[in-house]
Amino acid sequence: MPAREGTYGLLAEFETPGDLVRAARKAHDDGWRRLECYTPYPVEEAAEAIGFHRNKVPLITLIGGLLGGAAMFAMETWISVLAYPTNFAGRPTYSWPAFIVPAYEWTILWAGLSAGFGMLALNGLPALYHPLFNAPNFRDGATTDKFFLCLEALDPKFELAESKEYLETMGPVSVVEVEY
Amino acid sequence: MAHDSHSVSHAKTLPADLSAPAFVDGWKSRALIVGAVFSVVAVILAYLGQSQDPEHLGWDHLLRAWTMGTMITWGFAVGGLTLLMVQYCSGGKWGLLLRRPLEAMSRTLPLVFVYWVVTAIFDKHLYLWAVYTTKDATEAALNSGLITEIQAHCLNFKRPMLNPFTYWWVSVLCFAIWGWYAWRLNTLALKRDAQGPETTPYWIKKLENISGLGIVIYSVIMTAAAIYWVMSMDVTWFSTVYGLLFLVEQGFQVLALGIIVALSLSKAEPYKTILRQTEQHDLGKLTFAFVMLNIYLAFGQFLIIWSGNLPNEINWYLDRIRGGWGVIITLDFIFHWLVPFTLLLSRDLKRNKKRLILACKIMIFAVAINQFWLIEPNFRDAARKLHFSWGILEYVAVPVAMTAFWVANFCMELKRRPLVQVNDPHLAEILEPEHANA
Repeated sequence: MPAREGTYGLLAEFETPGDLVRAARKAHDDGWRRLECYTPYPVEEAAEAIGFHRNKVPLITLIGGLLGGAAMFAMETWISVLAYPTNFAGRPTYSWPAFIVPAYEWTILWAGLSAGFGMLALNGLPALYHPLFNAPNFRDGATTDKFFLCLEALDPKFELAESKEYLETMGPVSVVEVEY
Repeated sequence: MAHDSHSVSHAKTLPADLSAPAFVDGWKSRALIVGAVFSVVAVILAYLGQSQDPEHLGWDHLLRAWTMGTMITWGFAVGGLTLLMVQYCSGGKWGLLLRRPLEAMSRTLPLVFVYWVVTAIFDKHLYLWAVYTTKDATEAALNSGLITEIQAHCLNFKRPMLNPFTYWWVSVLCFAIWGWYAWRLNTLALKRDAQGPETTPYWIKKLENISGLGIVIYSVIMTAAAIYWVMSMDVTWFSTVYGLLFLVEQGFQVLALGIIVALSLSKAEPYKTILRQTEQHDLGKLTFAFVMLNIYLAFGQFLIIWSGNLPNEINWYLDRIRGGWGVIITLDFIFHWLVPFTLLLSRDLKRNKKRLILACKIMIFAVAINQFWLIEPNFRDAARKLHFSWGILEYVAVPVAMTAFWVANFCMELKRRPLVQVNDPHLAEILEPEHANA
């Protein structure tokens, strides 16, 4: 756990997603690894630009869905074949076509729940505090119409004055230092 | 697009020449060769089948397979027309991307009409109701054991609808309506391109109004066509979701073909410029929706009939499950749903041209399996008894030949006009870099 004091990072503000993506791509190409993009809506290219290719949410969703479907199908089979074998219009107790619909519904349900909670578990939300909210322009614009690139102090390349100059060359609206 | 003063525009420019690339001619000649070869094979198979004991069904099999080829190419032509109307109503950049290929599909309707006329001329080999057109003829056939009692009853009961006269007129009317819409949308699209950008709002509204009503009319008449051309091969059976199943199948196969065409065209201009990964991904998602919708309706129909287990309904399924047909429906399930579903679930696959094309080819193959499963068990010699004969191979030869000739026709139509509609606001958007619009 890093000490929560001193400089968290340098925050550059951009007007358009295009500018942000170009800046982020350049920073990543120049060797920056502790950096993050913040946009008011999902900009997939921004995530790609900083080398963020994939996460485990799809896998968790798949496993959740498969387990949900299998669980419901197994439960229906257990109920109809073993627990309460009943003669419905002469059909076999193992009447799989009738089991499909609930099993399908459970596949969707558990895939959805796994995606939602898996996402929360992996991204660390809900978070009660984040240093970037110390920056007034971030508070005002990050969820409406501003695009931000943050170079974090944890990156070995980080050096306050130099990195600030480096960000200035990318044509941002502003670059501010953010404290923990 | 809010570009401010200090950022420059990164939009691409459309190439000056918007005509289809030269390799479309190569597709056409390849299709013609395939069509010719398989036509010869089909005729040989028909003779072999005709001489084969005990059935002598070579030419009958050719006709049944011809119906299958007609249904597949009809799906492309009329399905293409409908997706054209849908994208005029829904808007969206994917629609601009597919517009010209869809227009070309809709202009192949005359060829499909010719295909259909052949089935109509030889209707006595395909439809019981075309053979026994009167109550007396039905009675005589029942007495001599040519048809069952339930078939005789259904023939008499359904005669007001199922008779050659109504069949011809309903079918011709359907073609006339599709033809009118295809002609109207195709002519207006050219007119639109000839005019300036100030007319764009007028054209958007105009084409939307034509298409909106067109989609409603299409849904009704295509149900009629599907019932007459395929369902009535078995006079005893009916299903209210039948038309809808064909409708979804058309969306399924047209999207698959549309993706194959658009991605293959993107090797050269102008598609190289206008095809972006975003729209490719969107088309993949839309196709995935049709894969789901198809299994939903198909399984829904099966589940309801299986639950009811009524003698006048369940036999249609038993004809198509027992006696080896279970293998075919299993293959249908695998290629029609399991494989496309599993493949299209992946985001990476939808963004990969080669793999997406492969998935779409599998989908079109699945359409053929499905049509085979729908058509062949309607006939007494094949119901609950899937067996080898030379004639059954017609189900490969004839539809391949017919589809190949259709593809040649499609390529010819594709070359006829510029591949990009320029009088459209989506054009500016599709030329933007992707991240700016994300």
